[in-house]
Amino acid sequence: MPTKEQLKEYAGKLMFDMKEEEYDTLQKEFDVILKQMEFIEKIEGIEKVKPMTFPIEIGHAHFRKDEQKNTLATNDALKNAAMVEQNQVRVPKVVEE
Amino acid sequence: MYIPTIGLEIHCELKTNTKNFSSASNTYSDIPNSNLATVDLGFPGILPVINENGVKQSLKMALAMHCEIPEYMTFERKNYFYPDLPKGYQITQFHHPVGINGYVMIHVNGEDKKILIHDTHLEEDTASLDHYGDYSLIDYNRAGVPLLETVTEPCMHSAEEAIAFLEALRSIFLYCGTSEARTDRGQMRCDVNVSLSTTENCLGTKVEIKNVNSFNNVKDAIVSEIKRQTEILENGGVVLQETRRYDENQMCTHLMRSKEDAIDYKFFTDPNLPPILLEKKWLEEIKAEIPSLQYERITMYMLEYGLSRYDATILVKEKEMAEYFEETIKEGADAKAASNWLTSVILGHMNKYEIPITKLFLTPKMLVELIELVSSDKISSKQAKEVLYQSLEEEKSPVTLVKELGIEQIGGNEEILAVVKEVFAENREAKAQYQAGRTNIVDFLVGQVMKKTRGKANPATTRKLVQEEIVKGE
Amino acid sequence: MNYMCKNIDELRAMLDRKAVTSDLLFQEAIERAKQYQEAYNAFVTIIEEKKEQDATSILSGIPYALKDNISTKGILTTSSSNILKNYMPIYNATVYQKLESAGAVLMGKTVLDELAMGGTGTTGHTGIVKNPWDSSRQIGGSSAGSAAAVALGIVPFAIGSDTGDSIRKPAAFGGIVGYKPTYGRISRYGLFAFASSLDHVGCFARNVKDVAYVINIIKGEDPYDMTSLPDDNKNYVDTLENEIKERKLFYIKEAFENYETSEDLEFKETINQFFKTVEKVKELGFIVEEVSFPKELLSAIYPTYMAISCAEATSNNANLTGIPFGVRGEGNSIHDVMMDARTKGFSELIKRRFVLGSYILQKENQEKLFHNARRVRRMIVDKMNELFEHYDGMLMPASGGIAPIFGEKTDQLSDRYLILENHLAIANFGGFPSITIPSGFVNDMPIAVNLTGRQFEDDVVLNMAYKIEEITDCKDQIAKGGK
Repeated sequence: MPTKEQLKEYAGKLMFDMKEEEYDTLQKEFDVILKQMEFIEKIEGIEKVKPMTFPIEIGHAHFRKDEQKNTLATNDALKNAAMVEQNQVRVPKVVEE
Repeated sequence: MYIPTIGLEIHCELKTNTKNFSSASNTYSDIPNSNLATVDLGFPGILPVINENGVKQSLKMALAMHCEIPEYMTFERKNYFYPDLPKGYQITQFHHPVGINGYVMIHVNGEDKKILIHDTHLEEDTASLDHYGDYSLIDYNRAGVPLLETVTEPCMHSAEEAIAFLEALRSIFLYCGTSEARTDRGQMRCDVNVSLSTTENCLGTKVEIKNVNSFNNVKDAIVSEIKRQTEILENGGVVLQETRRYDENQMCTHLMRSKEDAIDYKFFTDPNLPPILLEKKWLEEIKAEIPSLQYERITMYMLEYGLSRYDATILVKEKEMAEYFEETIKEGADAKAASNWLTSVILGHMNKYEIPITKLFLTPKMLVELIELVSSDKISSKQAKEVLYQSLEEEKSPVTLVKELGIEQIGGNEEILAVVKEVFAENREAKAQYQAGRTNIVDFLVGQVMKKTRGKANPATTRKLVQEEIVKGE
Repeated sequence: MNYMCKNIDELRAMLDRKAVTSDLLFQEAIERAKQYQEAYNAFVTIIEEKKEQDATSILSGIPYALKDNISTKGILTTSSSNILKNYMPIYNATVYQKLESAGAVLMGKTVLDELAMGGTGTTGHTGIVKNPWDSSRQIGGSSAGSAAAVALGIVPFAIGSDTGDSIRKPAAFGGIVGYKPTYGRISRYGLFAFASSLDHVGCFARNVKDVAYVINIIKGEDPYDMTSLPDDNKNYVDTLENEIKERKLFYIKEAFENYETSEDLEFKETINQFFKTVEKVKELGFIVEEVSFPKELLSAIYPTYMAISCAEATSNNANLTGIPFGVRGEGNSIHDVMMDARTKGFSELIKRRFVLGSYILQKENQEKLFHNARRVRRMIVDKMNELFEHYDGMLMPASGGIAPIFGEKTDQLSDRYLILENHLAIANFGGFPSITIPSGFVNDMPIAVNLTGRQFEDDVVLNMAYKIEEITDCKDQIAKGGK
């Protein structure tokens, strides 16, 4: 069970913050869901099952042919960006990590 | 004394018409945000669709590196926030990459060495950022460009080995035509892991140096990092597991983040990309397209054609040169002669004028003809060299030039012998004089033959025939 | 004249004999939308100007609504989230493109639970959606506005999306039909992703035949969606009348344990009515049997759904940073700008789910949480497929009760909650076609049955649903609020 401090750290890594009382609610929620997950762990034979990712597994993957099409006009592509300069999206200086 | 151990992770952009998961153009463009599809900007609702050719090119590389290919290939998401990553995750391969457990052969310091490949996987490039005063600008053109990341085992022990491997890997890309692999355009980038240990069997603490952008910098980064770690250890310190950045101006590495700050990328299989069945038949077809590579060619040239490693290495540096060389052999040339001409005059000419061998006027067939002119004694080696220079400069075939210049020697014994006999007939006293001890009469007779043939008789042949004739009795 | 309460066959006939024009239908639709907007809040955007259509199809000229998490070029698409409140897509979702090509007329974008995460219709950035049968109650979600618009008789059909029950639950609470087909039958291209492996596009209408008409138009393989299925080349309307005698259905015994002794009278009545419906279904010629389903798997549906959907959702919504699109945050560093955009842009529920999802995906938790959830998913799907070897479908109450009153608390650990309020997610786990059909009333509020069939057999499910609809007496019903 993560502590409130840990939950804050996780939220920070997801690039948002929450109000104090919201972290309390979240902790309660964690309590419930982790309890439920513990039941899952006890399901007989679960360890032998292959985790499922795709609802339909007999897939036929159709590739895309390597042909260029549907290129966006630059002004369309950037239409939704709040700040645009020299046909690029402007953001505060990114200091290389 | 510490043993350095080095592992490399090399990102290389693949040559395709379109991006890995969108149909926007994959070309280098100076115009920002001009090669985009909705997928590349991570708009809500977009779905990636795999480029067949990106998969094919990466499979070709995996096969060329002798990797095991999975039956099904999957794509995973690598989740992290950064302004150059519009979706908030990079699509990469984690569970079932295009190839695992391969190797690449290199030759360093007189020895062959197998560099083990942990895996090679197909992923997408990020957008590029340009930095100004207090702001940065994002150009998404590069976002989604297919990228092949090749990860070696930590199995190299010197900067030389690392560079030899990088050169070998680049040549595989170039030979296979899967990338231009240009470091100056950022098409090939490298992360370097360095650790020091006291015994060979156990590895020290690994330090990762991120995003080194040229082979020279890789070399310098390794050397400086070995030095840094050695100093720490010699002073009784402990090397910390961390990620560093190489500063090419100061020629040393700087701390980026420590182990505690390591990012958890929360990898999981991308539910939008079903597993890809890699059919055996397709793999066979792709395998058939892989040309014989540098290392194999060097071995073959040395064993079959008796070339030196030095010459063989020059010939295979570029695939086109190697193919040219092999074509001359197919046309019947003597391998050593072809190698000599290619590595000297022809390469010199190519370098001087910066022309690729594919644009050369001189065809392999013409080179073969030139070599035959020498071997049949029709022209001397010295003349051949002149003819070759002229041929390359004036774009005329050697045979034509020899004819135009009228320098073709009378090489045939019969023809020269006839003239020799003629000269003896005109100088009936010569034999007697020779027997009387005036041996230099030979020079005179040879001179006469040359005069009669206006210099076209091969001097060596002429001398030989004159010698034979003079000792014969009347 | 109230045209928008008519079904597609009636509208088609009137349009064809020129008894009404498409313009008139459109005008009525937007007038009704505006009329009910204050009371029920079904729409984020009501489209003022009709786009001219020249296509001819069964749907041409007929107005409809789209959930506001479906990309429409040049039309605001917010996903009912503040972070996208200014977002103007530059491309069309495949489902919208197909409806456009068929000549159907888009009249509005409907409210959803923010980013489609939620089942109450209360978390959209433009306010809560109310139930057209009783405005003190939820319509359910996340496709709340689409359900309300159809129930109110604003449009004859509306498009929604369904990740756990987001079409089929609000359909039940709104007294209308809601269908999500086999996973991949309809392209997801342009549907704002919530949990990609569970997300489906589907539709609402007031009868099964209308649903079949709409699905016929919007289904099909899409080169833009690698998970889309090859065309089945079937016309789902043509097979509606097929014989259903000897078709076998099952219901799950464990879902109804102790209901007879429950003190919750609504619950009791809902289940009683379900069994009455089962009897009538048998009279139609269906064979309906009770089967046993491992209880531990049923109790695991909800946590499994939460684990998988939240995990995928954190990643799917990591594109919402306000940088290339969306509302830009304030701050002096790139980190602060992204932080601010996301802190202000998401409501509390969304954030909580994202934290949960990312926790589940953390390296050290993946095995125990994420992988186990995906293992249970397979166990449930395998069990369903095993049952489908003997049965053509599963018939269940869509919910254990009627639409909840706003603010009503539910015990998330109770059996009733875990099973009866969550079993619809089984169809998302396995991509099974699944339809909700209104079946009657409890306390003057609609209740419904749900029918789930085998993967790929959309035609069979619609055929069976069409027959069951005959005995419900709820066909083409309009909510009280819309009369």
